[in-house]
Amino acid sequence: MSPAEHGAGDEDARIGYRYAEQHDPPPPERVSDVALTTFEHVFEVDPRLMERWVLQQQFPNWDSLRIMNSRHDHLEWMHRHFADRVVTGSELLAEVEREAPG
Amino acid sequence: MTLQVERLDEVVTALRTVLADDQILTSRADRLNRARVPAPFPVHRWTERLPDLAVLPTSTEQVAGVVRIANDLRVPVVPRDGGTGLTDGAVPLRGGIVVDVKRMNDVREIDLENRTVRVGTGINMLKLNEQLARHGLFYPDDPASYPCSLVGGRIGTSGWSLIGARYGHTRDLVLSFDHVLPTGEVMHVGDGIGHQISKSSSGYQLKHLFMGHQGTLGIATEATLKLYPKPEAELSPFWAFDNYDDAYRCVGALARAGVATFAGAVLFDEWKVAYLRRDDEAYIPQPGDVRALVCAVMYGYEDEVRPAGRRLFRIAKEHGARYLGDEISEGDWAARHDRYATPLHGRTKDGQVVPMSWHCEDAAVNYTRLPAVSKVWHEIVADLRRKTDVFDDWGMFAYTSADTGVDYLTEIDVGIWEQQLDDRAWELWVRAKRDIAAVALANNASISACHGSCREGEVDLVPQELGRGYDVMLDLKRTLDPNNIMNPGKYHLDRAYRAGGR
Repeated sequence: MSPAEHGAGDEDARIGYRYAEQHDPPPPERVSDVALTTFEHVFEVDPRLMERWVLQQQFPNWDSLRIMNSRHDHLEWMHRHFADRVVTGSELLAEVEREAPG
Repeated sequence: MTLQVERLDEVVTALRTVLADDQILTSRADRLNRARVPAPFPVHRWTERLPDLAVLPTSTEQVAGVVRIANDLRVPVVPRDGGTGLTDGAVPLRGGIVVDVKRMNDVREIDLENRTVRVGTGINMLKLNEQLARHGLFYPDDPASYPCSLVGGRIGTSGWSLIGARYGHTRDLVLSFDHVLPTGEVMHVGDGIGHQISKSSSGYQLKHLFMGHQGTLGIATEATLKLYPKPEAELSPFWAFDNYDDAYRCVGALARAGVATFAGAVLFDEWKVAYLRRDDEAYIPQPGDVRALVCAVMYGYEDEVRPAGRRLFRIAKEHGARYLGDEISEGDWAARHDRYATPLHGRTKDGQVVPMSWHCEDAAVNYTRLPAVSKVWHEIVADLRRKTDVFDDWGMFAYTSADTGVDYLTEIDVGIWEQQLDDRAWELWVRAKRDIAAVALANNASISACHGSCREGEVDLVPQELGRGYDVMLDLKRTLDPNNIMNPGKYHLDRAYRAGGR
């Protein structure tokens, strides 16, 4: 399989070998009546809702995590593109809370 | 295709006097690609939207040459930039020549002293800003199609920007441009005759007339744009509310606060919150009692943004807001610059996932009318959904257009199961669009703040909205485009050529 088919450009992808734990996702946990989660930041629709028109596919871990990390890279890139730095809301909230406790 | 083969040969032969062979595209794939737009339509009727050919000019002179030939031969011309518009401005309704400007994508002059840049209109804002960042500068025109829309399309549609409350919208950011009229003449449009003038009192103010015409009055080819320092700091807090009324009052208070670095605020209603919980676009974890959301965004120097941000946090707190945390706040805002690359799905009434395309109907609505408009728009979409699973209500948001909170880009997002969109469902949709526009007008709103109003359905109400102004549109169209070659079939402008004119 070519690196392009793996969809990743790192050294592992060029070798094309994945360890067993990179394939099977952990048991999903329910986060709502329609959504599940496997890894942190990785959510998916409850498979019971993908039985007729669109069938759910199981992704290997390495690919799910690659997509999720790429998404985060993209969002980080957008922040840097629009401004030199991000002011964190939680810091400002803490300052406001200190002004008027309670 | 509208041209017979012999006629097509005549057009191509004439075009070869101004273009090289590789700038004239006649293959089916080239033409199909240039009939594609993001707004859903009945895909079984795709061939009705095909141009006869496409051209890729590289200069104002070449565009003028193409338009002159089209005018002489009475062949329709449709300008196409990014093709990201939501009202089919770039869709050929009568075949003809699509003028694809994407090869005119160069930066021609950066004037660091006067803070302007001169560009070909085929350039994309993201790519432009990559070059400007080397100088610490920024062109702040920021649509949801930021990575894929082009400056020329922003001019032709008079685009709306996510951060327009801080920097203005396309009409404010484009100082002037070269424009090819429907007869092939070239005109410079700006304040007075200036290229880099932001305010002139000389002559009629023509700039706005040649922006937002959806390609019916010509083609912008080179533009001079206003530049700002690249922001040092960004802040984008997201707040949750357990009821709509508090969120509504909060967004109004944030917008009216008069904070100079305020770039926008958005109100999400309970349908939108429910949609975000479904993982049909991206799952956004939220506590179960959240019924509405508000976000705000600020840009500026850090020593401006921090105290101003504290002011907004105080306002939010006074209205019962709960901060949703840095991760959701920052992630959601960063994603708003790029809504066109998101894979989507919706639900049938029994909850099954189906592939759906996104469409949104918008209006420019005053703050005080937002709740009334929202209520009736949801009823219209609910009625559609009762009739068929082709449509799904993905919720609404209201987004500040200005720095005073006077009016909001108010949008209802509708998932459309495009593969099932047959003629019956399309007719239902067109009727719903007309009803949505009628609700806007009944509430003293404008049919569109951003997306345009020349698609089937809402376009029927444009004469009602503009009144005598619509007659002036017809007079202008007939005067500037005597042979109706420039994007014919849009805005019901054919009426300009009927006996009796109006």
